Amino acid sequence: MLDRLGTSLKDALKKLAGKTVVDRAAVEELVKDLQRALIQADVNVKLVMQLSQAIKNRSLDEEPPKGMSVREHVLRIVYQELVRLMGSAGEVRLGPQTILMAGLQGSGKTTTTAKLARYFQRKGLKTAVICADTFRPGAYEQLSTLCSRINIPCFGNPQGKDARLIVTEGLKTMGSSEVVIIDTQGRHALEEDLIREIIDLNTLTAATHRWLVLDAAIGQKASEQAKRFHDAISIDGVLITKMDGTAKGGGALSAVSETGAGIVFIGSGETVEDLERFDPDGFISRLLGMGDLKALVERAQETVSEGEIDVNAMMRGKFTLRDMYKQLEAVNKMGPLKQIMSMMPLGNINLPGDVYDVTSTKMTRYRIIMDSMTGKELDDPSVLGSSRIHRIASGSGSSPDEVRELLKYYKNMKRALKGVRGGAGKFNMQRLMKKFGGM
Amino acid sequence: MFDGLRQKLQKIQAGFEQSITSETDEPAATSPESEKDPNLLGRVRVLITDRELVISGKDIEEPLNELEMVLLENDVALPVAEEIIAHIRKDLTGKRRKVGEKVDTIVLTSLRDALLDVLGEGFDLVGYIRTHERPVKILFTGVNGTGKTTTVAKIGSFLKKNGFSVVIGAGDTFRAGAQEQIDVHAGRIGIKIIQHQQGADPSAVLFDAVEYARAHHIDVVLADTAGRFHNRVNLMNQLDKIRRIMKPDLIVYVDEAVAGNDAVIRAFEFEKAVGADAVVLTKADMDPKGGAAISIAHTIGKPLMFLGTGQGYDDIIPFTPGGMVDDLLAGAA
Repeated sequence: MLDRLGTSLKDALKKLAGKTVVDRAAVEELVKDLQRALIQADVNVKLVMQLSQAIKNRSLDEEPPKGMSVREHVLRIVYQELVRLMGSAGEVRLGPQTILMAGLQGSGKTTTTAKLARYFQRKGLKTAVICADTFRPGAYEQLSTLCSRINIPCFGNPQGKDARLIVTEGLKTMGSSEVVIIDTQGRHALEEDLIREIIDLNTLTAATHRWLVLDAAIGQKASEQAKRFHDAISIDGVLITKMDGTAKGGGALSAVSETGAGIVFIGSGETVEDLERFDPDGFISRLLGMGDLKALVERAQETVSEGEIDVNAMMRGKFTLRDMYKQLEAVNKMGPLKQIMSMMPLGNINLPGDVYDVTSTKMTRYRIIMDSMTGKELDDPSVLGSSRIHRIASGSGSSPDEVRELLKYYKNMKRALKGVRGGAGKFNMQRLMKKFGGM
Repeated sequence: MFDGLRQKLQKIQAGFEQSITSETDEPAATSPESEKDPNLLGRVRVLITDRELVISGKDIEEPLNELEMVLLENDVALPVAEEIIAHIRKDLTGKRRKVGEKVDTIVLTSLRDALLDVLGEGFDLVGYIRTHERPVKILFTGVNGTGKTTTVAKIGSFLKKNGFSVVIGAGDTFRAGAQEQIDVHAGRIGIKIIQHQQGADPSAVLFDAVEYARAHHIDVVLADTAGRFHNRVNLMNQLDKIRRIMKPDLIVYVDEAVAGNDAVIRAFEFEKAVGADAVVLTKADMDPKGGAAISIAHTIGKPLMFLGTGQGYDDIIPFTPGGMVDDLLAGAA
């Protein structure tokens, strides 16, 4: 289902390829696909509508900058608007602070509390946690077990009934710590008395930060829940948990737009180490089910520079192992080949599937093998005979079969490029080569 | 519950009525001249012979779009929303309306049909246990933090009130504090619990729970498990092993009402990996809207058994699709 989504977006983008003027119908189609993608990613429906309107207007009104194709122009606008919607990553200060965790039941507050404690501990800060969840059985045991594994002091009282009391005592006991993180009971916005409790806790602790923990799978309700929490204790950071599942975390965007707070961290696994700082670009890519948009947009913005690869030589059909080496290096930086190819304005050209069929580990292997080749061999692969292959194999710690496989891949690639040259206009071919080189 | 969706649906319904009414009422006079309808002849004939009116697809396009937005805003997943819309469109388009017949009735029936269609039938747990060989073994699955453990406790309490003897198998041996959590729950509702220490093989724990139930003639075994993501192959394999070993009679998939589009994906994956016979939707009190219920029920194609509506042991209600649809559409007719 997810793949299909990414594909439909890409198809829409493809329709813009090679166009010289912005085509209203194509833009509308793109916007429609974008809406679907975002709604499926649980972004608030109203936000989606605003966003798509803005993209449509800008795409049609703004003149594409010189040297930028229509497709790149639209792509850039999509990206910019998304970045605007998301805001920047929330700030995390490394200094003495008190953090109050808030969120719905089962969103992962307790696990995240332990992860955060670990994060600050690793940054060299004296960290302690307080368990203010007096409701859920086992909450204190959970947090204290997690904390004892990482040597973090944990204050709490499994028999205690009053969270306010526990926190007051906890703050006294943990006074010498630089960072104090307070885990609270799960609550939702409609539970008045619990909301009052967290307001009290906030006043009581004079918390430096009040962070909202949101499950990546949360849907359209995120915005309402976030709003209530924000009204109660003015949230200044959002944490998205469970990003290791298939959920896209679009609900968090609603929370960001409601609270004006940035996303601070992302939880992506079950161990205490699985916490990452938020990276807007990676997040957008995930939302849309596309590769790294930013890199591609930036690439589109650069004027295409003369690459290290001799494009003209290749145009004459000279594609050596050396060229392939550079290409693999570039690919290594960019992500899978197929993804790059799909982003390029190739129009209707289809490279044979087996060209793509190289995993990133294989690519690394190939490069190592090529490192064991001589300059002559790289420039002219036809000299490679059995004995050279054996030498390369033992030199690179691989088997002769692997070397042969590499050569086969090289031949496929060469043939594919020849096909491109034959099938498409010269312009496209040159472009493709430059892209490969420029990467 | 579900107030949000209900209000929206009522508004939409009014929209339908308006556009259908405006289309059908005046054309009653002018329709013979009305242009560009391919079925013009047919419509006229119908109008004359049967004194009926035909609803054309064009007339309901606008309210249908609006309805789709409403469904989306209420966390009905996109594919499911589209299916509902398609259902209604197919149902309404070309429908003949007798002159004088109220528009409400047509729209209402159509909406109700569409919703009932996706919601499927409810699941009568008590009835199921009565008609099956004891002990009835029920396995609970789901992703992290949806409320499996709390649900196990609630259902345990529910079954106890219905006169069944229950044992709980504490199959969450992974999460810190999970053992203590279920232990406290079991103690409070007075249900025997079978536990091993943390890190034990959940299959072994649950096997023991089943053996205990056999030996003591207990009616129901409730098997809690650790939350796991559907994209973790090893954890899903572990779940499969649990299934092979304890041979549950029912596999209950637990998800939360606040989940968005991902609900559909994970429900599908769980169904594919270990199957599911019924669904429990938790945290329905958080969600005044209720779209996830529609999405999940539709994706798994399995009946909803219970709705979790709060943090107390009694905050669980057996789900009846007719009841929910009536609730949603209540006050509309």
